[in-house]
Order: sequence, then C-alpha cells, then structure tokens
Amino acid sequence: MVTYVNLLIVGLSLGAIYALIALGYTMVYGIIELINFAHGDIFMVGTFITIALMSALGITANHPPTAITWLLVGKLALVCVGAFLLCAVLGIVIERIAYRPLRNAPRLAPLISAIGVSLVLQDSAKLWMGNAQISFPNIPTPVITLGVFEIDTVDIFVVLAALVLMICLQILITRTRMGRAMRAVAQDREAASLMGINVNGIIAFTFFIGAGLAGAAGFIYALKFPNTQFTLGFNLGLVAFTCAVLGGIGDVVGAMVGGFIVGVIQSFIAAIPASVLPHSGNAWQYAIIFALLILILVFRPSGLFGQQTPDKV
Amino acid sequence: MNSEQIEHEGIATAALKVDEPASLELRAVTKIFGGLKAVQGVDLVVKPREIVSIIGPNGAGKTTVFNLITGIYRPTTGDILLNGKSIVGHSPDKIVRGGITRTFQNIRLFNNMTVLENVLVGQHTQLKTGILGALFRPPRTLEEEEKARIRAIELLSFFGPELVARQEEYVMNLSYAERRRVEIARALAANPKIILLDEPTAGMNEAETLDAVKYILRLRDEIGLTILLIEHKLAVTMGISDRIAVLDYGQKIVEGLPEEVRRNERVIEAYLGKQGAESVDLSASEENN
Amino acid sequence: MSIAVRSSWLRPERKTRKLLVRWLVALLVPVLVFNFAWTGEGIVNNVFLGLFAPKLTNYNYTLSNSIQGGLFILVFYAVITALAGYLTAADSGRRSNIEIWVGILFAVVVPLLLVIITGDLLIGFSLFAIVWGLYVVGRRYVLKVLHYTPPIALEHVETLDEEGQQRLLDRARSAGFWFATIFALITLVGDIIFFALGSLPTILLALVVARTIIFPLAGYFLGWLGGKMALRHALTTSTQAPINGAGAANARRWWVRGRKEQLEHLSSARAQEEAKDLVPNDTPLQSKGAWPFYLVLLGGFILFYPVLDAMLFGSGTNGRLSGYANLGYYIILALGLNVVVGFAGLLDLGYVAFFVIGTYSWAMIGSGQFTHLTQIVVNPQIWSWMFWPMLIIAALIAAAWGILLGAPTLRLRGDYLAIVTLGFGEIIPPFFLNLDKYTNGTNGIVGIYPPATPCIQGVFCVQWSSFNATPFYYLILALIVLCVFVNVRLRDSRLGRAWVAIREDEIAASSSGINLVNTKLFAFAAGAFFSGIAGVYHAAKLGTVAPSDFNPTDSFVYLSMVVIGGLGSIPGVIVGGVVVYALNEFILARLDTIAASPGNILYVIEHTIPNFTFGNVRNLLFGIILISIMLFRPEGLIPSARRRRELHHKKEDDIVELDALDEPVGAETLEAEMQVE
Repeated sequence: MVTYVNLLIVGLSLGAIYALIALGYTMVYGIIELINFAHGDIFMVGTFITIALMSALGITANHPPTAITWLLVGKLALVCVGAFLLCAVLGIVIERIAYRPLRNAPRLAPLISAIGVSLVLQDSAKLWMGNAQISFPNIPTPVITLGVFEIDTVDIFVVLAALVLMICLQILITRTRMGRAMRAVAQDREAASLMGINVNGIIAFTFFIGAGLAGAAGFIYALKFPNTQFTLGFNLGLVAFTCAVLGGIGDVVGAMVGGFIVGVIQSFIAAIPASVLPHSGNAWQYAIIFALLILILVFRPSGLFGQQTPDKV
Repeated sequence: MNSEQIEHEGIATAALKVDEPASLELRAVTKIFGGLKAVQGVDLVVKPREIVSIIGPNGAGKTTVFNLITGIYRPTTGDILLNGKSIVGHSPDKIVRGGITRTFQNIRLFNNMTVLENVLVGQHTQLKTGILGALFRPPRTLEEEEKARIRAIELLSFFGPELVARQEEYVMNLSYAERRRVEIARALAANPKIILLDEPTAGMNEAETLDAVKYILRLRDEIGLTILLIEHKLAVTMGISDRIAVLDYGQKIVEGLPEEVRRNERVIEAYLGKQGAESVDLSASEENN
Repeated sequence: MSIAVRSSWLRPERKTRKLLVRWLVALLVPVLVFNFAWTGEGIVNNVFLGLFAPKLTNYNYTLSNSIQGGLFILVFYAVITALAGYLTAADSGRRSNIEIWVGILFAVVVPLLLVIITGDLLIGFSLFAIVWGLYVVGRRYVLKVLHYTPPIALEHVETLDEEGQQRLLDRARSAGFWFATIFALITLVGDIIFFALGSLPTILLALVVARTIIFPLAGYFLGWLGGKMALRHALTTSTQAPINGAGAANARRWWVRGRKEQLEHLSSARAQEEAKDLVPNDTPLQSKGAWPFYLVLLGGFILFYPVLDAMLFGSGTNGRLSGYANLGYYIILALGLNVVVGFAGLLDLGYVAFFVIGTYSWAMIGSGQFTHLTQIVVNPQIWSWMFWPMLIIAALIAAAWGILLGAPTLRLRGDYLAIVTLGFGEIIPPFFLNLDKYTNGTNGIVGIYPPATPCIQGVFCVQWSSFNATPFYYLILALIVLCVFVNVRLRDSRLGRAWVAIREDEIAASSSGINLVNTKLFAFAAGAFFSGIAGVYHAAKLGTVAPSDFNPTDSFVYLSMVVIGGLGSIPGVIVGGVVVYALNEFILARLDTIAASPGNILYVIEHTIPNFTFGNVRNLLFGIILISIMLFRPEGLIPSARRRRELHHKKEDDIVELDALDEPVGAETLEAEMQVE
C-alpha cells in the first residue's frame, strides 16, 4: 500500500512536469498546427538556465543550502521567474528565425526546421555546460509524515505549481482579450488579421508563454530531480507531446490531465518487476506508454478531451 | 452550341448510358451531432430518372442529407435504400461502387492534378489494376489505362470541346464554371446510376447557369441518371425539378411539384420569415445566397 | 520529297555557325579542364597503355579495370559529342552567349575545379553548393540591375515541317562533327607537345593518330544522334493524336488536335511550363531533351565508379566505397518513406521501426543466432544463399508489420497519425533490446553472413567481406535501381493516382470510390517493404547488429531526407538522402580530421576557441544547415512538379481569392462546421 501511494506521488510530480511541457506543445500546436519538436529542448535549456541562475545566486551543487529560509525561497522565486523569462525570449527568437518565414511553406517544412532547432539547442547546451550529467543543487525540503506515509513537500509544491500555472493559462485563454485573439488566430488566421488582430504578434506571444512554461518546468524539474543533461529534452518532450495528444491536442485541461495520467502510468510501469517483463518495467516504459496512447487513440481518435477534428464537407 | 459539338456529343453520351436507372429512398433519416439535430426524420423517395431538388434556407441540413446518403456520415436512426437495399453503414467508396456519386458545394477537385487525372481518379472503381499490374505493366494493364484515358476524354467531351482541349491543364487554372464541369465529369466517371449535385450552379453567372441547367437535363435525358439536387437559385430548381423537397431546421416541411412548393405558405415563411412572406412573391426572388 | 536548297553540314550557314561557336566553347572548356587540369587525359593514356602495353605502365591496373575505365571514357566522349549535336539543334539562339557561358562556368567548371582542389568528391561538391548559392543570388542581382528579362519560352513555339526537321538534323550533324574535330585537334597539339617534352610514351602516338581520325567520323554520327533526340521534342506538322493504339476507330476523333493547338488552349503558366521542353528552346541545357545525356553520363560514372575512384582520387578507395555503400541504404529508406509521406501524404515519424524489423530479420536468420534459436545446424557457406530470398521475405515481414500497425491506426487524421507512428518507433526497438533470449539483447548479433554469389571455377568469384566494399557497392546500386523502378511504377499507376488524391482531399477521394483505409494501408506496407530491403542489406553489410544502432530519432533523419529532397519527387529524395547522409557522415564527421592538418581555416578556428572541437558542434552545424535549407527552399531541393506548382500557386493566392468570392458567402456554414465521424 505504502509503495503504491509513493509510486502515485512520484507519478504525479513527474506528471506535473510533463503537463507543463505539454501545455507549451499544445498551445503552439493549437495556434499554428506545428509539432514544435524543439519544445522539449527549450525545457532542457530551462534546466540549464536554472543551474546557471542558482549558482549566480550562490546556490551550487557543491554548496547546497542547509535549511529553508525566506531568503532561499526568495532566491528560488527569482530563479523561477528568470528561467521563465529567458526561455520565453528564446521561444520568441526561435519562432522569429525558424518558423515565421515558413508560415506559408508546405506543411512539413517547419517540422524539419523544428528538428533543426532542436539539434542546434542541444549542441549549444553541450557547448555551454558540457556532455556530462550536471547535478542540481539539493534543496532540503521538509518531509511531512501522515501516518505511515511520508510526503516530500517538494512533490506537493510541484503538483500545486503545475495546477496553478494551468489555471492561470486557462484564464488567460478564456477570459482575456489576448486569449480571445489567440483563439481567433487559431481558428482562422486570415479572418483574424482582417479583424485587426496582429497575427504575428499573437503567435509570438503564444511562443512566449509556451516556452516560458517550459522554462518554469525546467526550474521545477531542478527542485525534484537530481541532475540534467543536454539530451534530456528531446525524449521528455516527445512524452510530453504524447500527453498533449492523449488529452486532446489544443486543449489546455486535456494536456494537464494527459500529463498526470502518463506520469502516474510511467511510475507504475517502472515498478513492474523483472519476473513479469524481461529487464523489468523500466526498459519498457516508453513502449508501454506509446502502446497505451495508440490504444486510447484507436477508441477516441481525438484524445480524451479533444473534440473531433472539424472537417469541412 | 455549334453543329460540330452536337454531333460529337452523340458519341460521348452513347458510351455513358445507364442501363438500369436506380431509385433512392430515405426512410425517417435522422442525424444528431452532439445535441444538435441536423436532420430529423426525413423521408424522401427519388424514382428512377427523376430530378428531385432539395431546397431550404442555410443550415437547413441539405448538405448533411447528401453526406448521409454518400456514407460520409452515418445516420443516427433511419434507413437509406438504393434500389430497395439498405446502404446504411457502407463506406463512401462502397456506396460509389453501388452507383451513387456526388459533387460538392465548394468544389472539391484535386487541384494539383490535371483535368484528365481528376477524371481518371473518378474511374478508380472501374479499373482493376492491382499491385502486380502496376509493377509489371502487362498488356492488360496498358490497355486498361488506354481505355480509361479515352473514356475520360469522352466524359469531358460531354461538356463540349473546351475541357477536352484543356485536358492537360491543372484544374486550379480553370474557371469556376469549368471546375464544376470537371467535378461532374469525375462523378460520372464512376459509372453512377444516381448523381447528387450540391449547388451545381453556385457562383455562376447567368449564361453559365443556363448552360449548367442544360447539361443537368442532359444528364438525365441522354445518360439516364437519377438526379438529386441541392440548389439555391429558385429559378433553376423550379425549372428542372420533377419534384422539390423543402428542408427547414433539419425537417422536411414540404414535398411536391414545383408549382405546389412555390405557393406553399410554410416555404415562403421559411425562406423569408413571417413578415417577408406577406409582401414578397417567392417566384420573383432569384437570390442565390 | 527532296529538299532543293540547303547548306552543307560541313560549311554551315550563318546562324548555325553562331550556335556552333557558342556550344563548342561551352562544352570544350569543361572537357578540357577535366582532361588537362585533372586526370582525364591521364586515364585515357593509362587505360590504353594498360590494354596494349601492360609492361610499359608503372600503374597496377588489371585488365578488368582497364576495360571498365576505357568504357567510361568512351561513354563520356560519346555523350558529350552527342550533347553538342543536341544543344546546337535545340537552341533557339535567343539567349546571349555570356549568359550561357557564365552559367556553364559556374555549373560545371567550378565544381570540377573544387573537386580537383579538395581532392574529395563530397567536400568539393558541398563547397560548390555554397558557391552556387552565391552565384544564384549574384545573378539575380545583376539581372535586376541590367533590367534584363529573359525571353519567354512560349513565344517561340514553332512547328517544324519536313524541311525544318532536315535543317535541324544537319545542324546537329555539323555540330557533332566540328566539336569532335576541334577536340581531336586540340588533344593532338597537346600530345605532340607532351611527346616533344618526352613525357609521352611512343606507343601512345598510335592512339593519338587513331583518335585524330576516328573522332571526326564518330562526331558526325553522334551529332546526328543528338539531332534525332532534338527532333523527339520538336513540334512537327504531322502531329500524332494524343491517344492512339486502342483501336483505330478511336484514334480519329474530333478532339484530336495538334500539340500546338493543345498548348494554345492551356493557361499561359502551364503552356510556358510545357513549352520549356520543346525544340527550339531558349535554355536547351535545362530542357527535357538534354536529360537523357546527363543521365547516361551520370549512370556511366556511377557504374564505373569503383574503378574510377582510384584513378581520380588515389588511395583509400575501399573506405570511400564502403561509405557510399552505406549511403545507399539511406537512399532506399528515403525512397520508401517517400511513398508514405510524399505520395500518400501520411506523416510517418516511426519509420525506423520497420528498418529495425528488416535488419533483425536477416540478423536472426543469417547468423549463428539461427542455430541458437532453432537448434538447426546449418552450413554458413550454404546458408548465405538465403540472403537473396530473405531480401524479399524480410521486406514482406516488414510490410506485414506495416499493415499490422497501420490497420488500427490509419483511421486517425493528420498529426494524430504522426504521433502514433512516432509511437511505433518507440515501441518496436525495445523488443529487440529487451528480448535477450531471441535477439541477444544489448550485445546484439555478431557474425551475420554476407550474401553469397555463384563462383564457377574461380572465374567469376565475388569476395563478400567487410574489407571489400565493391560488391556491396554494386549490390546496393542494383537494389536502388530496383526500388526506383518500383517507386516509379507505383507512382504512375492507378494506385499512385489514388494516393495523390487522398493526399489532396480525403473526402473527395473517398467520394470518388477510393477506399481510404486500404489505400493508406497499402502505402504504409509499401513503405515498410522498402525499409525491409534496406534492413537486410544493412545487416549483411555491417555483419553485426546491435539495438544501439537504432534510435527512435533516426526516423526524423529519414524524414528530413525526404523533405529536404522534395516530397514526392523521386530524384528529389535520392538527392535528399545523399545530401543528408553526406552532410552527417562524410563532411561534418570529418571536420575534426580536416582541422587537424594545419594551414586551413578550420585549423585556425579550432585552435583559437578553447575547448572547441568540431565533433561537439556537429549537430549544431547540421541543425543550422537543416534550418537554412528549409528557409531557402521550403519545397525541397528538387521538388516534384506538383509540389512546385502548389507552392508557386500559393503566392498567387489573391487571384484565387477573387475567384472564391463568387461563392455564395456564408452558405451552409453550419454544416461546414459539422464534423466527420
């Protein structure tokens, strides 16, 4: 029982990170129908930025803080905002250079360009911090004991942060002028521009938010996980995209739920012993996740929350 | 029409003749999207070699009826019969094989294919070449392709010499009216018994409309097709239909001869609203929205 | 009918003379560069010596090498001479000499010189790509400054009567004759100088004499051949019906028109496109008629490359050939993926899965693993023969998997399908990694047998081993030819049409009677089939297979080959495969080696930046190149005719929009938003 609850908790906090990355994927997809393969790598850059900012503020892996103080919380908040902003700017730059010129190109051209961006980001990160795994500074978070369960507060924080960000995003999209413009652009770019909406501006803004969320996810990842590497982003990004598809691509809540579902499933798969599957569940986790995805899509072709794709007849 | 053209239309249509005209029947067909009843309990009978029009205001569910017949949607309830046999649940291609083809309201041609290629795609069901035939091109395959080509040209010649001359043209370079013709030629290519035309004169000027009316009538008279038509131009519908069915909010409100429909209170109301109905005579209005 | 007055082919009339001078210069300059600046002349001499005076030569050429080299040389000169005939006949003479000469200088002489300087085919060509880009930009700028508008092809469509055809042939003949004569004279002078300097063995004088006599004669006939080629693309007065054959009754229909009339009926853009290939032509070098010459030349080069390589680039042939032989299966993969993505328009991001299946099919059967799995002891010598049937069987296995995976998923639309196929790439490889019992897990399978070929008393024996790349080079060449053949046949068949239709508009396609699921499944299976072939070859060539060779992200590399080359275009994806693979494996991977030798710019870069190696930025450079190719040529390097038009048309969207306004505005919007189940 205790094991299962622990698996659930691990899964939820992993899922929260997937969800945050998936949000960016789903936003970008929703607005320009591009699978932005570079998104996972923006997240990876986010983890690197987090390390850099932390060490600039005196928090390093060699000299981790010993206790939680208000000063530390302040510093971490600063790091989070920094990661968000820097990644958001990176997102805008990428959009400007690699995607905007291809707005009217054949559909697959931006996809290849996205793959190119992904490669560029990975190697740039490698040039910046090297090939090896880099450890995050360990933040000593208190553990809450509830009866037999021990819950690390960082898990609670991770899940809460993801939820809060998602709610903010949902409000942004459904309640604000900007959100309305975004939805308009997503529906019909030309009509939106005829209505006086600055389409390029809106798309850039979408990239800003999406990439910013990936940066924030990078920060949260740093709190929860021990280390990062320049290859971290691509695969994680693919799984996150799967989450977005699972939930119904283009749908914010769907992406979130998809993220949590995949996170939990993944943590349970990892616990499958070698007696059931050769080499234990860990070796099979992506295979099983994608198999589940296929199964779900076969029965719900537009994801769990997605509406059927409109097809004009 | 010059004499040369008429002479050769004879050649063209002879090859297209339908031997056994078919009938179509809709029985209490209903289609519900989410909570919206797009089509509700529509009954409709189209007899062999008849031209039946469906009219109605925008959003009345006319095109949905077409999509139901051609298998793009599956009716929520009800039955659709081709020559007395149910075709509900058949895939669109199977329905084409059964003898029903269609055109689309907003022309759906393969824009990056030539006129000829479009019509060749239309003949897909008529050709048998499989993978081995494609790879080794035995004489049988070559002959089949050659025949398909000739037939495609015959189909195009149904509409006069212009399309034949432009057979190598990419359809996106054609005029609107020409594209409509190619679409009909593509639909004819599958050897249909029934053809569904979704607003075949939309976007055409008067001369083109007149021409369209002529060839729609020829589709029945010369080829022997049964025709189901959606049309907004009332002058057209009234002129060529044997019977007219009027849809409003997914329900068939009236069905009858053109004259009956023209005078029907409910039709006028549905089209123009209550107030308009009092002041305007429907037969005078030829708006095409 | 006899033609009364016509100028002699030996002393051509004025216009022909002008054209002759133009094309003699245009063709002779590159040929002479090849001959005297590189090894062209050397190869000829050595081949000749190898054949007739093997003792004199200090080269180690075998008989077979000499014959192959000789054949290539023959093909080379023959094609160039015939090309001279074709070009002179096909040219309308309306473009200026400068334009054409500068064009040829950049298109042919520059790459030749770059290859000579760098001593490496691929690096030479990639530098050339950069120079070419600069040239294109520069030319555009110059033409703009000069307010130059090139002649419009359509204006010059002319019908040739019998006399005109004869004139064309004469012109071609005289071009062939004069080209060969002048070339023979130049080489004669060159050889006499070499002889005087003492660097030409006396026996070669026989060659020189023979050449001087034979060349003009051969030129006369080859020029005539070129003229015939030109006539094939000319509008003649007795235009045949576009349709004939199936019954004489059908052949004479009223719609049978002359080609010229047909052209007049087409829209101006389309007619221009068609007229570009007609003779006479403003840019004969680019016309369809010139392509057979290029293809023969390229074919000859590729076919004899294993022999030529040593002659052109010196030692290290085996390594280079091995690299090209590896490149080959990437081309097959690109061709296969092209069926799925390019023809049928289904985005497949998990293509690697089928490649893995193909590879392991042979790895598990054609190695010790087979005995291990089935306890059947086989003789490797004999079992190697299984390679040939396995090529097809493994391809069928892969195709079956394509159907198995595609059947439940192909109902999905657009990018949902893409993500599911991405899943295939994640699902399949772990099986081979984790099922140790069957696949030997992480360690992979070693000692996979190479193919076997008949060996009759040591006469025709092929040594299949990883140290001898030549057989693999020819094997993959044959496989590529096979795959291209299948690809072309599929594209031009009823099925190919159905694929394009589905790609263009699924609803319209299914309303035309095309079964969407089956047709898509077939595309999927066909794509997988190709990857099966590539897989078997890969396993046999490498001899070992390990799961770490395959990465789910490889699928993206394959996809980038197809997109960079040009979706749906067969020459395009071949070029795409070559470009992507060459970039990755030949050029970027070797930058460090190149930078190690001091004195070049890379060396300077590597040594001024601390901790910098090119290995570390390999993907960075690759990514930048991917992005830039997409930015500058979003439709791919050699787009298919269809795609090119698609893109071209998008730019003229305004015109289309005007048309669209004729549609009743807002008609049936409710239904338009309805959804397909």
